[in-house]
Amino acid sequence: MIKEMAKVQIIGPRSVLDDCVAALHALCAVHIEETPAVSLATDAGEFSLKIPVDKEKEKEKARLGAETAFVKELIALLPQSARPRTVVVERGDIHGLVEKAGAVKNEVTALSRRILELKDSLSIIEKYEKLLRAFAPVVPRLGGFKNFDITGLTIEKKRSDAIKLLEAETARITGGTYRMFVIELDEATAGVVLAYQSKFSSKIREMLSGKPISEMALPAEYGGMPLLKALAEMERKKAQLPVLIREDTARLNALSNEWLSTFAGLLRAMEDAIDEFGVLESVAGARFSFAITGYVPLEFSGALRERLFERFGGKVVVRELEVKEEERDLIPVLIYNPAFLRPFEVFLSAVPLPKYGSVDPTPYIAIFFPAFFGLIVGDVGYGAVIFILSLWLRRHFKENEVCYNITKVLTVSSLSAIVFGFFFGEFFGDLGARILPVVFHPLFFHRAESLKTFLILTAGIGAGHVVLGLIVGGVNLLHRGRRREAGAKATHIAVLLAFFICLAAIAGYLPRSFFTPALLAIIAGSACLVLLEGVLGPLESIKALGSILSYVRLMAVGAASVVMATAANRMSGKAGSLVVGILMAGAVHIINIMLSLLSPSIQSMRLQYVEFFGKFYEGGGRRYKPFKKR
Amino acid sequence: MEKAIIALAAAIAIAVPAVATAWAQSRIGSAAAGALAEKPELSGTAIIMVAIPETIVLLGFLVAYFIIG
Repeated sequence: MIKEMAKVQIIGPRSVLDDCVAALHALCAVHIEETPAVSLATDAGEFSLKIPVDKEKEKEKARLGAETAFVKELIALLPQSARPRTVVVERGDIHGLVEKAGAVKNEVTALSRRILELKDSLSIIEKYEKLLRAFAPVVPRLGGFKNFDITGLTIEKKRSDAIKLLEAETARITGGTYRMFVIELDEATAGVVLAYQSKFSSKIREMLSGKPISEMALPAEYGGMPLLKALAEMERKKAQLPVLIREDTARLNALSNEWLSTFAGLLRAMEDAIDEFGVLESVAGARFSFAITGYVPLEFSGALRERLFERFGGKVVVRELEVKEEERDLIPVLIYNPAFLRPFEVFLSAVPLPKYGSVDPTPYIAIFFPAFFGLIVGDVGYGAVIFILSLWLRRHFKENEVCYNITKVLTVSSLSAIVFGFFFGEFFGDLGARILPVVFHPLFFHRAESLKTFLILTAGIGAGHVVLGLIVGGVNLLHRGRRREAGAKATHIAVLLAFFICLAAIAGYLPRSFFTPALLAIIAGSACLVLLEGVLGPLESIKALGSILSYVRLMAVGAASVVMATAANRMSGKAGSLVVGILMAGAVHIINIMLSLLSPSIQSMRLQYVEFFGKFYEGGGRRYKPFKKR
Repeated sequence: MEKAIIALAAAIAIAVPAVATAWAQSRIGSAAAGALAEKPELSGTAIIMVAIPETIVLLGFLVAYFIIG
């Protein structure tokens, strides 16, 4: 339901303004409004000022804004491995903690940068992993050569003749004083290590230039080193780097464990302080007094008065203001329902918030959504599977409020499907009736075989639901003093009832003599609607008839579901093998259950939003946002 | 022959609205997908919009049902 709100003005001496704002912040109940200049001007002259915000406070607010950004950056840098505890930081501790945050941020930034660099170095070495592994057996054998240069080369394997040519040329240049090792690097490439006396270096390099072979390119940081030294250095670092990364990461995690919760609390405290400065901009007043205007739930206005009296001993008073007619649409909307209805408020997230004074449809959705869902699914087996699934999903979505509420709605809806399943005698289609006919037999009618009955039932449900929507809308309009519109709703109901009487007289359910008076009632009602709502007035009644027919979808989708379930069972009988039959039936039932999760939800939701809400729902409300701590 | 004509009439009564619904839903669906890319919070409204034309096929179904029945 939409809570009744009271417009209040909190008045007190300027000396206690900051304390009063802090007290209101702690109370978490007042939706503070900007005090409009026009209304102030019409009040006593003394009261027609906006209190200028202190220069010092402006500076403090700007400083807090900058520091908030700084703390947010720090929190983003800290690893979020564990869920932070709730740490309450007092306003007086903010500056001390911000200084500490500076020191922690320096350390965290340095550690993060170092870890990044170490990881970069490691990833470079890992790229040369293949090379390191291939040359590992060769390196010790080359280590003992004095005055020797070593060159690493890569050659495409398909040019194997190049290796022979290379060896022949090297032998010619060095006069046979060389060693050559050929190592397989991968499927397509061979690695060659040439060791030769230093005095032949220039000739060897001259020989290598312009050949279809390339010297191994080492990472930049090893660029100036001889091949052997570079490989040895890379091997050493490869062992050392993971240890260093682990050490730095552990230190970073330790810092996070030590400080994350505190800094999360610090951020909340800073944002709360900024909020309090923000409220000061909405305060009106005079030289020695202030006034804060806002809305509180009516039932809390007394408590607000008492709490402020206790805190300020009569220095601060709360007066209730009269809400002008033109202000009614600006009253913030607080929807509050009993705990068992609250999950169904999730349906309101898809439509604009209802206007203050209009109808909160949550209780109606809580009845009709599960009922329509159950009517469509109408199977004990399917309902049980959806029930178990909803409980399983509920455990997984504990953190996400919207998803958690959806799973609760699904639980209730699955129970409705089980109840309707008993009425229709369905357990995985006709499986229950075949195995246990004593328990599973239609108590009302068989959905797939009695389509006409099912059709009349759903159209009847539609008529009831649409008329209920019109009644709810009419009563609400009457309460709000909009008699003309309430009268139009009542006339729509009368026209619809007269139309039903006409239909019943034609079908023979009522005496034929009822037809003419009912027809005259329709004509008279339509004339009234033209007077009340204009020439398009009677169109609303025709739209209402269309809405009623729309409920036939409950029958159409429900019958399709039961036919599919029955088809699954029959397919299993024709499979020829028990195992194959069970697998086939299981697969079709799973598909049907998935469809049963989606289609009935969408159809039922659509009936609520389009057919039912259209009769009374007024969107465009402003959400009640109390001034409260984060 | 008469039965065949009745069956054909029922088939047309449901087929034409079904095609019409599919066409309407395809137009609404593509527009909704575009809107959702910009504003994901419109998902609820998008579902409702896509479901609206289904009434046409339901009316077709009813007509077909009465033709046969």
